[in-house]
Amino acid sequence: MAVTQAPSPAPTAGPAATRRRGRPARHKSDGAAGYIFLSPWLLGFAAITAVPMLMSLYLSFTNYDVLSDWSSTEWVGLDNYRQMFTEDPSFWHAVRVTITFALIATPLKLAAALGVALLLNKAFRGDGVFRGLFYLPSLLGGSVAVAIVWKSMFNGDGSFNAFLAWFGIEGKAWVNDPDYALGTLILLAVWQFGAPMVIFLAGLKQVPQELYEAASVDGAGPVRQFLAVTLPILSPVIFFNLVLETINGFQGFTSAFVLSGGTGGPVDSTLMYTLHLYNKGFTEYQMGYASAMAWVFLLSIGLITVVIFRTGKFWVHYSDSED
Amino acid sequence: MTATHPPRRAFLRTLVAGMLALPLVLGACGSDDAGDDGKTELSFFWWGGEARADLTTKALDLYTAKHPDVTFKKTWQANQGYFDKLATLTAGDDAPDIFQIDDNYLSEYATRNVTLDLTPYQSSGKIDTSKFPEGLWKYGVVDGKLAGLAFGENTQGLVYNKSKLEAAKQPLPTTGMSWEEHIAWAQKAGPAAQTAGTQDPSADYKAFWLWLRQQGKEMYNGNQLGFTAADVTQWFELWKGARDSKATPTADVIHEGNATDITKQLVVTNKALTSWVWANQMPELQKNTTDELGVVAYPGDNSKQWPRASMYFSVFRGSEHADIAADVINFLANDPEAGAILGTDRGLPSNLDIRKSVAASTDNPSMKQTIAVIDELSKSYGPSPTVPPRGHSVVRQELIKAAEEAQYGRATPAQAAEQFFAASQAAVSR
Repeated sequence: MAVTQAPSPAPTAGPAATRRRGRPARHKSDGAAGYIFLSPWLLGFAAITAVPMLMSLYLSFTNYDVLSDWSSTEWVGLDNYRQMFTEDPSFWHAVRVTITFALIATPLKLAAALGVALLLNKAFRGDGVFRGLFYLPSLLGGSVAVAIVWKSMFNGDGSFNAFLAWFGIEGKAWVNDPDYALGTLILLAVWQFGAPMVIFLAGLKQVPQELYEAASVDGAGPVRQFLAVTLPILSPVIFFNLVLETINGFQGFTSAFVLSGGTGGPVDSTLMYTLHLYNKGFTEYQMGYASAMAWVFLLSIGLITVVIFRTGKFWVHYSDSED
Repeated sequence: MTATHPPRRAFLRTLVAGMLALPLVLGACGSDDAGDDGKTELSFFWWGGEARADLTTKALDLYTAKHPDVTFKKTWQANQGYFDKLATLTAGDDAPDIFQIDDNYLSEYATRNVTLDLTPYQSSGKIDTSKFPEGLWKYGVVDGKLAGLAFGENTQGLVYNKSKLEAAKQPLPTTGMSWEEHIAWAQKAGPAAQTAGTQDPSADYKAFWLWLRQQGKEMYNGNQLGFTAADVTQWFELWKGARDSKATPTADVIHEGNATDITKQLVVTNKALTSWVWANQMPELQKNTTDELGVVAYPGDNSKQWPRASMYFSVFRGSEHADIAADVINFLANDPEAGAILGTDRGLPSNLDIRKSVAASTDNPSMKQTIAVIDELSKSYGPSPTVPPRGHSVVRQELIKAAEEAQYGRATPAQAAEQFFAASQAAVSR
């Protein structure tokens, strides 16, 4: 998978930071030492990230099929990209499914994370236990086991429908019905809100108490305090979580793979982009095409991240900034 | 601080030198097994469960006992992910010397020359197929080359829930029923047994394929589709009728059956009275239910059924020990002792002599029944189709997608058929 996996954005701090002008010579050797201590990471980065990425970029312009000898791999130029945009209806279908998934799952997940973080922010007996319990699902999150449990829970005769039956509600065959299958995936994603929740909690701890005191002296109720104090001060944390979770959302793979047995079914309703990419590479042996898909994916996620960063100017407030 | 510089530099230099040397050292450690001391290690890769792993290990150990110079590096895993791994190993030019494969992928691998052509070994008698049914070993021939040695035979089998049918005083399905008779039977038997009569096999390529052969068509003619969109429409219409008359479960339950493995087939989970499987899967199904199961041929003219190789063993084109590898698979297929160990785990043994002795010695009733049914059917087999071409695994997926479009009522049978036909044509002609 290493060849086709779209890597998450690499940290930008790098060699440039250490190469400032006018430094005394002594520090240069410090720099060298730095590189030497970094070298395991650098070697790892080169061998398992940079080289495979460049390789996949090259492969995206070929008809590489995994199984054949290298000699029969041909350069096909932009053909894979052309095919993707003009001849593969499943590609556009997968794009739609993925955008639907990310657009619904990400805000819901963040709202759940923030909501629970607000509740857990108050000190009460056993709050640590609750924090741990709420965080647990996201630790298990990507795992295959959780998806399998989910699949059996949301089966036609699963425990979720048994629960609904208590209230006299007749359930659906959630995971086996193309109208609902994606919904169960979204629910699974939302349920794994633990990681952003922990970050929100940390952010909430940073809000200065005197602001609340001042606000309440001015007569602001809890809602008003939340809107006028908590949200603005928390906005950098919200921003951080939004970027991370959006990227996560677009990359959703494991749950869709397990729930549909790798097919994206029923009737392509859970055909996520990454799943389509995987099938192209490993079921149809069109690794060149899959590589092209991976690059389009990387660029799209990059673009979306840039857009989020741009909008950040309008709603993210940094308390230490001048304005 | 300046005083400490020289030693530190020296230390760093040593460190760098060490790091540069590291790959060399590691490389030296990883140097290859074979040759020098006359010993050979062959890598052997298969998919399957715990039981198959034990049997295969025993059989290979027997080979080592008889040929002490040959040892095996055995690797196995579940079906899920097997072909991903095999493809990745092949891409790294590191495929196992011998690997298990089935007809979904045989052409994919053979047409790309991953598999060694075994024809020379066959003609020189080093691989002996004289005791094989002819249709069976020929089912391993791709483009005139013997790409894999058929390991185990099976054929389509309709497994039904005998206990439920007898309790509801319904007749059991029989070999030789027409498709219409089968659907009419399911329509009656289902409500009587308080479940659905028959799993809807419209997404099942082996049922579709057999039905096509009964209409005088084929699934494939070489690298071309052997049917038209109109044939598919007719097939989808047949099952739309069955669904409308409540002979089958609802679409979501049908999907559940399509999407799950053998342990959750509808005949086992009691959501239908039948499951459409390969006959050799019957003992495995029986393990998952306390009801008694039975197995018959698929509906229609059963002389159109064929001896499918349930799986093959192939040798990697880049194997450095091809001669020994060929001898190993010949041993596994034809040695009576190895045959006794392997039993029917991969289907009925290809070698008919071994099959006879294995059949005589088994005490598993569902195994006995399966062998009896396949033996009975094999008397009437007509000519076999050729092994499916490249793109077959995609065609299978597309059939499931299109059939489900029709089952969920998202497309008419004709629309779904058009969609399937176009997608399949693209898949096989690529």
